[in-house]
Amino acid sequence: MSDKKKSNRSFKDSRVYVVFFALTVALVFSVLITSAATMLKPLHQQNRILDKKTNLLEAANLLPENEKMTPEKIQAIYDTHIREVHADPRGQILRSATGDSLQLYLIHTDQQVQGYIVPISTRGLWGKIHGYLAFEADGETVAGFSVYSHSETPGLGGEIESQWFQDNFKGKKILNAHNQLVSVSIAKGRTENLPESLQDHYVDGISGATLTGRYLSEGLEETLMQYEPVSIIFRQKKGTQTQLETLLDE
Amino acid sequence: MQNDLSHYKEILVKGIWRENPVAYQVLGICSALAVTVKMSTALVMSIALTLVAGFSGLIISSLRHLIPSNIRIIVELTVIASLVIITDQILQAYLYDISKQLSIFVGLIITNCIILGRAEAFALANNPADSFVDGIANGLGYSMILVAVAFLRELLGSGQFFGFSVIPQFVYDMGFQDMGIMVLAPGAFFVIGLLVWLKNSLPGISHEKK
Repeated sequence: MSDKKKSNRSFKDSRVYVVFFALTVALVFSVLITSAATMLKPLHQQNRILDKKTNLLEAANLLPENEKMTPEKIQAIYDTHIREVHADPRGQILRSATGDSLQLYLIHTDQQVQGYIVPISTRGLWGKIHGYLAFEADGETVAGFSVYSHSETPGLGGEIESQWFQDNFKGKKILNAHNQLVSVSIAKGRTENLPESLQDHYVDGISGATLTGRYLSEGLEETLMQYEPVSIIFRQKKGTQTQLETLLDE
Repeated sequence: MQNDLSHYKEILVKGIWRENPVAYQVLGICSALAVTVKMSTALVMSIALTLVAGFSGLIISSLRHLIPSNIRIIVELTVIASLVIITDQILQAYLYDISKQLSIFVGLIITNCIILGRAEAFALANNPADSFVDGIANGLGYSMILVAVAFLRELLGSGQFFGFSVIPQFVYDMGFQDMGIMVLAPGAFFVIGLLVWLKNSLPGISHEKK
């Protein structure tokens, strides 16, 4: 009996058995994980698309507050108010993408263009930050900002997805007094400490997340420079209501 | 049968109360600080951890005669990590908002000492049924503390319970303010510390007077 036990133990610790056992365990569990991931993939994609739409609406301030949103409601608001379009390098709005066109979204109510949303995709501290920056139809006032995916440190850089930080952006201007593009940047600390002339172009920073703020500022500036032709088109129309269809047909 | 039941009851009481993983063994504090700002995240985290603890105990205990001792920890981690990834996938599919809020903390269940601790200390030496009950019991013990901390932090920090405001307006009118510190990590430290003290000073059931 004890002999048998002993041989059993040595077999259990033999190199062949260890390798065999490790391979079997690895195989079984990879099959399990792969099947779970594959089966749930359609749901994941659905969630991600819905989340993007929710964030687009949030940037455009179209989400009613204090109301429970169902996927159907979000889809309905999205369909009535948001139109995905493209813009060529001269800033002309196009219905469909061409080789070097930029993607953007128009906000419209009853066919009147209310503003536009620019997708933001920039480097963060640990990974990419993806979000949206919405503008009013004057082409210089920020209407809202939202983040739908990031990998910043929770509690520090992760605060970029919190409500107070995103509300900061509302009403900020991307043009200075001389109508030059200055973008919006994340301040170090609070904007109250900045000279008055800069307060319109800065939002309150997050303490402990200086680098996240710096990368996000750089990313915003880069994106806004890219989309400047579009903004110029909007600025030229200043004050006049634009029909969605005329903008698309121009 | 009676004997069996009282045996399981014994394991449950030990895991949930007498040797509570957070309050007695002081394990899993990191996630207890991170996910207890709100009841909803704490509850989902608790359920996820309890299920992972139970099933990892069950699986590791079933394999305990087959696992070569020199790759023991690697195998345990493989089992735990796989269960956590599957849990994360399920959360992303059905509770997307909450899974976004929990962010990396679901993934960090893998490194939660409670799970590996129970696998090493209990599952390797006991039969699968006992190990499953033990895992669930420790998960529930962890959940109990987590939910209690989250309840206090959400109530005092944001005046809410499951996202609904519960503190009536006249209390605010009288000068009450939400306690900002409760939303931050130090608030969790204080609450956990107070709970540990409370648990260990209750007469008769303290672990010091076993």
